[in-house]
Amino acid sequence: MDAKKAARMEKLEVESADLMKQIRIEMDMKKKQKLIAKRESVQRKATAIRNNRRISREAKRDLVAYSFIAPNFIGFAVFTLVPIVFAFLLAFMKWDGNNTMEFVALNNFKRLIGDTFFVAALKNTIIYVIGTVPLTMIASLALAIVLNQKIRARGFFRTVAFFPYVASLVAITAVWSMIFHPSKGPINYLLLNVFGVPQANLPKWFGGGLVLFTLILFSVWKYMGYYMVIYLAGLQGISAELYEAGSLDGASTWQKFKFITWPQLRATTFFVVVMLTINCFKVYDIAIMLAGGGDGKLSISSTVLVYYIYQNAFNYWDLGYSSAIAMVLFVLVLIVTLIQFRYEKKLGE
Amino acid sequence: MKKRLLGIFLATTMMATLFAGCGSAAAETPAATTESTATETTEPAAEEVAEAEDTAQADAAEPVTLKWAIWDKDITPYWEALKEAYEAANPNVTVEMTDLGSTDYMTVLATELSGSGSDFDVVTIKDVPGYATLVSKNTLEPLDSYISSAGIDLSQYGGVDKQVTVNGSLYELPFRNDFWVVFYNKDIFDAAGVDYPTNDMTFDEYDALARQVADPTFGAQVYGTHYHTWRSAVQLFGVLDGKHTILDGNYDFFKPYYEMVLKQEDDQICRNYADLSAEGLHYSAAFSGGDVAMMNMGSWFISTLMANIASGEYDASLCGNWGMVKYPHADGVEAGSTLGTITGLAVTSVSEQKQAAFDFVNWVSSAEGAKVMAETGNFPALMNAEVAGIISGLDGFPQDDTSKEALNVSNLYLEVPYAENVSAINDILDTYHKSIMNREMTVDEGIAAMNDEVGKVLGQ
Repeated sequence: MDAKKAARMEKLEVESADLMKQIRIEMDMKKKQKLIAKRESVQRKATAIRNNRRISREAKRDLVAYSFIAPNFIGFAVFTLVPIVFAFLLAFMKWDGNNTMEFVALNNFKRLIGDTFFVAALKNTIIYVIGTVPLTMIASLALAIVLNQKIRARGFFRTVAFFPYVASLVAITAVWSMIFHPSKGPINYLLLNVFGVPQANLPKWFGGGLVLFTLILFSVWKYMGYYMVIYLAGLQGISAELYEAGSLDGASTWQKFKFITWPQLRATTFFVVVMLTINCFKVYDIAIMLAGGGDGKLSISSTVLVYYIYQNAFNYWDLGYSSAIAMVLFVLVLIVTLIQFRYEKKLGE
Repeated sequence: MKKRLLGIFLATTMMATLFAGCGSAAAETPAATTESTATETTEPAAEEVAEAEDTAQADAAEPVTLKWAIWDKDITPYWEALKEAYEAANPNVTVEMTDLGSTDYMTVLATELSGSGSDFDVVTIKDVPGYATLVSKNTLEPLDSYISSAGIDLSQYGGVDKQVTVNGSLYELPFRNDFWVVFYNKDIFDAAGVDYPTNDMTFDEYDALARQVADPTFGAQVYGTHYHTWRSAVQLFGVLDGKHTILDGNYDFFKPYYEMVLKQEDDQICRNYADLSAEGLHYSAAFSGGDVAMMNMGSWFISTLMANIASGEYDASLCGNWGMVKYPHADGVEAGSTLGTITGLAVTSVSEQKQAAFDFVNWVSSAEGAKVMAETGNFPALMNAEVAGIISGLDGFPQDDTSKEALNVSNLYLEVPYAENVSAINDILDTYHKSIMNREMTVDEGIAAMNDEVGKVLGQ
């Protein structure tokens, strides 16, 4: 036993000395640091053997940390990670959930190109994202700036702006359906009586080309309160001294916004845009509630990717095809997010 | 380093369990099929023995528990009635019902039956697209051998069974059969001084009648007709001639009916589709509001109307005086042709007591089950004079002869007959129905799109 131990000790010491030599001659800083870390770990092992401990103190520390992460990670692994990996594999299969899986290579992806409903869903989702993200960002920033001033009943107005976000989706979509009702809604009533739009030309807010516009409008209204809160936090993090200095230099309000507020909010804006983009690509519930009509089905003018994924998976049980669409959505979000990260990094430098 | 190792280890373990999961599912499916074919072949012999034993020791039969998937247990009276009647006739059987809710029943059921974790013996089949899905997923047991050994005469279902036969096999037995009629509000016709609709109307006569009784005066509006937002309510007028079905791939025959309904919308003879879908108005609310003269709807609405008028839920002064007539028909087509939907029972392929499950299915769809159905005001698949008598004798059923006569259906065409891709076809027709009714597309554009898209599905 002891002879074995001694042999291992010796081996570790030789390895450590060898690493030390390498460290001395290594010129690249990054590689050097790696070698240093490696040597430390070798030395730790040696200490563990010297002190007759089965696992080193550091390993113990790591295990404790992992055990704290475990409850969350196991849940994530079982309910998120495994399904994601599985979906990735499924995209190359044909499977209905019961019969044997069949490998079909890229057939699912080839089918996408000729699929009218997929193309429509993709187009609608992209229009929705392009419409919703900038508008929500601008609206929430404007709200945050206004409600960051010391105005009367500031708390009340902040609550009002935040309310759509906390209110139940089902309830507020019901209200919107009434407000925008094509023949009895107050909006069209105003258009008819105040603006003199002829009855036959009154907009059908939930049909045709307008339905996406209504969805965007609704989403901006619903989400701006939430992102306003994030912007408010960002605004309060900006030092008052900067504005003071700006005032001393005679900066106008616009200049103060442009040269102080906007650059200082860069990190916040980045967060807001990334979160918004991801959330908007995932749109489903809002579309179903607003445009689904009585039966909760979306027509070709309002269908979105997540709905089409659901339809293929749980109505047609074409799990492979629906996974392929999910992959398209995943890649789309990934690319957009990567571009945003790169842009943010560039700005930072 | 250690962290990365741990990560790789975790990932591989997960992948391993993943593949283990797939592997077992894949391995189990063929096993299940062979098992079922094995039971099939031995079935007739076992059946004879069972029958012989049955008569000898009926009382000593082993206790059996059947798990049955249903929807809306609390508001649908017949589930409980069927269960109790069957348990009374077969004391050794206990039927356990599981309510999966009605809105997405078939989706939930398909999910339940995915993989091998289900313990349902008998499942209710709500619609044909869902039935097609379950059959293609191999989750239902073909009933042919059971049907022939039980000596069931399928002709009693009036040919409906043929519309759900899959490659020569039947996987469900219908127990409920609803058909579409035109409900009308007698008070509105009386007030307008117009004759009631009849059991023999052509579409032109029907359209003219709607126009006669409608009153577009703002504030006192009366609608001649009402079409619910379902596509069945409009486009399926086209399949009543028996020459066309929704599986054709060419839908030019929808055109005259879309034009008739859109013209009625323009002339304010009926509520417009965009309004209806924005407010999600339920057809029952439309008819019970007392401003709709005629509404085409399925016979399931009869029991709803009777029950809600009796309980005071609907204002009897607005809709209490109602009647019904047969569907209108195209020129040269026999009166009494109408659309129908069937509700069936099926035995799952994972059930371990298939014979007992089939006995229950058979009983529910037989004359005995039909009587129970009729007593709750619902239409059994097995219609005969006795059953029609029970329903028209129920309290609240209109007592005029026309309404009673309206129960006699001459030709029944399923709203959705079986085809392998019927789910996809159904959704395509739904989406372009919306586009046409919302006026996003003209009738011609919408029908051309239906032809194109369904053509793609059929070509696959």
